[in-house]
Amino acid sequence: MTPMLQRTSVVNHLKVETLSFSSILEIGDSTFTQGFSRAIAVQREEEAFFGYEADFKSYPAFQIPIPFSPITENISMHSQQLNPITKVQNIDVIGVSASSILQIGSAKHISMEARVDHIRHLLTDHSDEK
Amino acid sequence: MNFQVYNRDLCVGTIRIVGVASSSLLLVGDTQTIQLASVFDTPPESLIIGPFVPLTPK
Repeated sequence: MTPMLQRTSVVNHLKVETLSFSSILEIGDSTFTQGFSRAIAVQREEEAFFGYEADFKSYPAFQIPIPFSPITENISMHSQQLNPITKVQNIDVIGVSASSILQIGSAKHISMEARVDHIRHLLTDHSDEK
Repeated sequence: MNFQVYNRDLCVGTIRIVGVASSSLLLVGDTQTIQLASVFDTPPESLIIGPFVPLTPK
């Protein structure tokens, strides 16, 4: 075990109302965590929902690459656990959604990505209204 | 670079959160690397005025 993953997580009380859309509640340790979510969020002036709306590929927000600069510097890290417990008395979460993660425990490598395109759809032009 | 860490007591009372969304993370524990990326777009053409039809009709 690496020195980083020595602490134990203790949560006495956890309450989660809703977990949705590929979200995870994990109790325990993990080595690799990867999350990815895409959403076309349409707000319409009145209620109207069509099952088939659009393809992700027609919006640049889902196409553009996200550049990551590589970490070149070598860092030697040493941690000493003088009290090897991370304690939380109480956690109260209403919602975990869209490939999000709630984890009690240690994680080695985490990488998460989210892409959202917002669209508003009105029936009439409101720009002349005060 | 030499990085020396002493982890002493870490004790939290209450965490209240309304929402964890869009590939977000709530972690009670240790980690080595975290990489988060997010794209949000609402371009001028994303304001559509007109009758309600699907965004790209079949």
